[in-house]
Formats: sequence, C-alpha cells, structure tokens
Amino acid sequence: MKQRNISIIAIVVLFLAGLLMPFVLKQYHLNMLTEIIIFSLYAISYNLLLGYAGLLSFGHAAFFGLGAFVTAVAVIHIPGISLWAVLLIGVAAAVLAGLVLGSLLLRHKGSYFALLTLAFNALFYAVATKWHSVTGGDDGLSITRPDLPLGFTTVPLSGLTPFYYLTLVIMGAAIVYCWYFTNTAMGKTVLLMRENEERMKFLGFNTNISRLILFTFTGAMAGLAGVFYTFHFQFVSISAISVDMTTAVLLMVFVGGTKKFWGPILGVFVYIIFQNYLSDITDRWPLFMGLIFVLMVLYVPGGLSGVMMDVWQRLFGKKDPNGGKSAAAEEATP
Amino acid sequence: MSDIPVFFLHGLAYAGLLFLVSSGLTLIFGMMNVLNFAHAAMYMIGAYLSYTIIMQMTGQFWMALMICPVILFIIGALVERFLLRRVHAQGHLGELLLTFGLAYIITELVKWHWGNYPLAVNVTGFLNGTITIFGFIYPIYRIFIFVAAVLVGGVMALILYKTRLGIILRASVNDSEMTNILGVNVPLVFMGVFAFGTALSGFAGVIAGPLLSTFPGMAQEILIDAFVVIVVGGFGSLGGAVVAALLIGQLQSFGVLLIPKLSVALVYLLMAAVLIIKPSGLFGEES
Repeated sequence: MKQRNISIIAIVVLFLAGLLMPFVLKQYHLNMLTEIIIFSLYAISYNLLLGYAGLLSFGHAAFFGLGAFVTAVAVIHIPGISLWAVLLIGVAAAVLAGLVLGSLLLRHKGSYFALLTLAFNALFYAVATKWHSVTGGDDGLSITRPDLPLGFTTVPLSGLTPFYYLTLVIMGAAIVYCWYFTNTAMGKTVLLMRENEERMKFLGFNTNISRLILFTFTGAMAGLAGVFYTFHFQFVSISAISVDMTTAVLLMVFVGGTKKFWGPILGVFVYIIFQNYLSDITDRWPLFMGLIFVLMVLYVPGGLSGVMMDVWQRLFGKKDPNGGKSAAAEEATP
Repeated sequence: MSDIPVFFLHGLAYAGLLFLVSSGLTLIFGMMNVLNFAHAAMYMIGAYLSYTIIMQMTGQFWMALMICPVILFIIGALVERFLLRRVHAQGHLGELLLTFGLAYIITELVKWHWGNYPLAVNVTGFLNGTITIFGFIYPIYRIFIFVAAVLVGGVMALILYKTRLGIILRASVNDSEMTNILGVNVPLVFMGVFAFGTALSGFAGVIAGPLLSTFPGMAQEILIDAFVVIVVGGFGSLGGAVVAALLIGQLQSFGVLLIPKLSVALVYLLMAAVLIIKPSGLFGEES
C-alpha cells in the first residue's frame, strides 16, 4: 500500500505543477510541453504492450494515426460537431481496429507478431496515402480546433493555454487510468501471462481474451493520443500513421525504460527535446536515432529509468527484495 | 488483354527478385530465429555499391555481381560477431531493436555517401538486349533475374538437403547444444548463416539496380514485400518463399493491370486471407 500512496502523491504533485506551467513557461516551451503530454499517453499505452505484456508491436502508429485521421475527417465533414463527439468517434475507431487486428494477429508471438503488426501498419499507411479524397494523401488535412462545450458555457480553444489545460486534464486522466489499470485484476493477469502463460491457462484464465482486451485498450489510448495530436497541430499528415511514428514511440519507450510505469515519460521528454534541438542542427536525425538504438541495446538495455533505479539503489541501498527482477513483476505481487 | 503474357513475365521477374531478398531473410529467421530488420538495408548497400562498381569504376555488371556479395558477406559476419551475438542473451527484443537501429544507420549512411536521389544503373552487353517470346519483344534482363533466382534457390536447396554442411546446419537449428557437443562450432555456423544471408541480400541488391534503379526508399519498399512473402510462405520455409514470391509477383503485376487503384492493398489482402485461413503461412509448421 505504501508504494501506492507514494504514487498518488506523485500524481497530485505533478498535476498541480502542470496547472502552474502556463504562468511559468514561454509560449514556445508550453507548446513543447503540450506535445510531450500527448506523446506521454501514446508511449505509456505502448509500454503496456511492450513492458507489461511483453508484446513487441510495430503497428502502434496504426491506432495513433487512425485517431488522428478520424478526428480531422470528422471535423471537416461534419460541420459544428462537438469536441466530445470527435473524441468519442476517434476512440471508437481505434477500439474497432484493435478488436479486428487483435483477433487476427494475437495468435502469434515474438518476432512473428512484430512482423505482422509492421505489415498491417504498412497497410494502414498505404490506404492513407492512396485514399486521397478522404485523407488528403500526401498533402494532409488542416482543421480548426472546435470549441469546448462544457454544458453551462463554451470555452474557445483557439489559444494555446486553454488547449493546454484540456490536454493536461484529459491526457492526465487517461495516463492515471492506465496506471490504475496495471493495478486491477485484469492488469495483473496480463503481467502474469507474460511470466508464465501455461500456468495462467491452467489456472482457468482465458489468456487469449485477456490479451485481446489489453491490445484493444492500448489501441484505444493510442487513438485518444492521436485525436489530441490532430487538435494540437490542427493538421494531420500521413506521417502520423507511418511506421516512423511506431519507431518514434518504440524509441521513446526504450530510451525511458520499459520496466517502470513512468519510464516512457522520461523517454518522451528526451525524445521531443532532442528532436527539437537536433533537427535544428542536423538533418541526419535518423542516423542519431539508429545510433541511440544500437548503443542502448548494447550498453543500457534497462533505459534511463533503469539507470536511475540503479543509482538510487546504490545511494540509498536497501537490499533489493526482488533480486533485481522487473518493477512490473514487483507491482504484481500482492 | 492481349499482352497478358507480358504481364506474366513481369510478374516472374519481380517474383525472382522477391525470392532473392526473402530467401536470405527466411534463411536467417529459420536458422537463427532472428528477424533481421537490417536485411533490406543490406540489399540497399548492395545496389548502391553496384552503382559505384558498374557506373563509376569498371562498367562490368558481372564484376559487381561477384564483388558485392563478398563485401556484404564480410559486413554480415562482422555484424553477427560484434553486435548481434552480444545481445543474444537479451532475447528477441534486443535482437530486433538492434537490427532495427542498424537499418536506420545504414540507410542514412548510404544517403549520406551516395546522395538522396535515384541513380540509374545500366547493364551492357547481351543482358541489355531483347528477345522475342510469344510474339512479344521482351528485355533479356528480366528473364535473367528469374533464371538467377532459380539457380540460387536450387543451389541453396542442394546445400541444405544434399550435403554434409546442410546436415550440420539443420542439426544446429534442431538442437544447437547437442550439435555443439558433437564437435561442431555452432557459433561459427550461425555467423556463417548470417553472413551468407546478408550476401544473398547484396546479390539481390545488384540484381535490383538495373530493374528498379537505386533510390533512397528502396529498402523500405522491398522490406515490407519481403516480409509479406515470408508470412504468406510460412516462417523459415524456403519452399514457402518460392511459392509466395511467385504468387505476390503475379499479384503485383496483374494488380497494376486490372485494378490499379487497389494494387497496393492486394498484397496485404492476400496476407490477411492467409492469416485467417492458415495462420502459420502456406508451408509453415504449426507453432
């Protein structure tokens, strides 16, 4: 329980700090922070697949891009559509895609699964590129952010600060829900399935259904992040649904570390800040990305959060009760 | 519709190229259980190297066809020995991410050295000629691709199933520990397999140059198709790769002829259909 209390305090502190940010940061940095929050949800949803369930997917951008494109298409083709309706449609599309793809692909594991998700991501990308009349093809789609109806009043979202607050509240709530999910019976089932699937089957769990639910859930969260991605940039291009977008999230999660729930958020910070400054200096950004991948795999497989936990252990070294097992496994034990 | 034979031949040529790329991929996957994301990047190196050898140095296509696979064999051996082997303990995830990172590095370095634009590779001599089949004038080079693929596939099958080396290879896959105890240097065998697979991709790259010309996106373009080939054919199955490459080659060729708008999606639809009916692929073993 103690661990849980610390987490709740951390969440509240982070949220309050987030509320103060518009008073502290310049417009440029607030813009970046909004992007970081959106990608944090995307990365955390991905880590639920990779870190918690042990499924390496190369198709997460399919959900992200689907949410992003459905948003743009809905705003353009349904005049006067409410923001809440857009959110609902975007997430519903991702859920549907998650159910269909999940039931097709989850029969496979490991490298097979990775390859198949990659191929389906490529299919989504091909459709987005070729279906010019709906998706705008290479040109992408521009939208204007709809206003936020709150029942008693309507808040215009054209300015960055109100949109930042909306992002903070909704993305924050979704991230907290993801965290809560890892503590539910369902979340723990997924975790234990990774450790020993045969045993879970033997104990009477339907592992296929559990995996499908998790896959769909993470897809829905990625779709939600995609909706906000379109709202934030007020533009969506085929890059949102490309394999590169999957690579980006993979890099974020891997740099941050898969073993801690909050690891991917670190990765997103590093990635967005790096990308913003590196792409100013050099157009060889992919080269650096590849180098980071290779060096991390070789020397820092635990990611930044792993390094931080190591340092923490060494400085305040209580004996590790788990013998160095993953944090996810630690959270699983009651 | 009278040019159906021509489209059939186009399909065969592309199938040959697809087989050359995916056979190396499926060999590495079947033997070492490593899904090599860098495979298409190696193919790209092969193609660009052949540009340098053919267009800038010797003008000899055959020279490139001999030298490039050797260079890529060496690159493959080095990658296996100094990178892949070190992350083997981390399991699939480490290996996948490593080859993934390598693919990015290689693609970017190739763009750096050769520039971010297409380069045309021309063949000379009798390969540049045409031949009349079924009353159509057809470029010899495309037929050459198909013949080369048949030869390579035949030699691979002979080695795997008719030689002592093939027995060692198959034994290493079945039970690497036992094979090691029996006096075979299994790590060396794996290094050889990876290097050979990489050399094959280099060979395919040289072949692809005159057909598709070299361009920065060539790796990504072929990678997805090659992946689809090994999904449809069955993971690690050489025979499956043959059948799947032939199927997809024709599908691509006639897709463009019959339903040009949907041709990109056809390949994926085939893959989805195979997955629904037989998830392990046409010739794959049930996992």
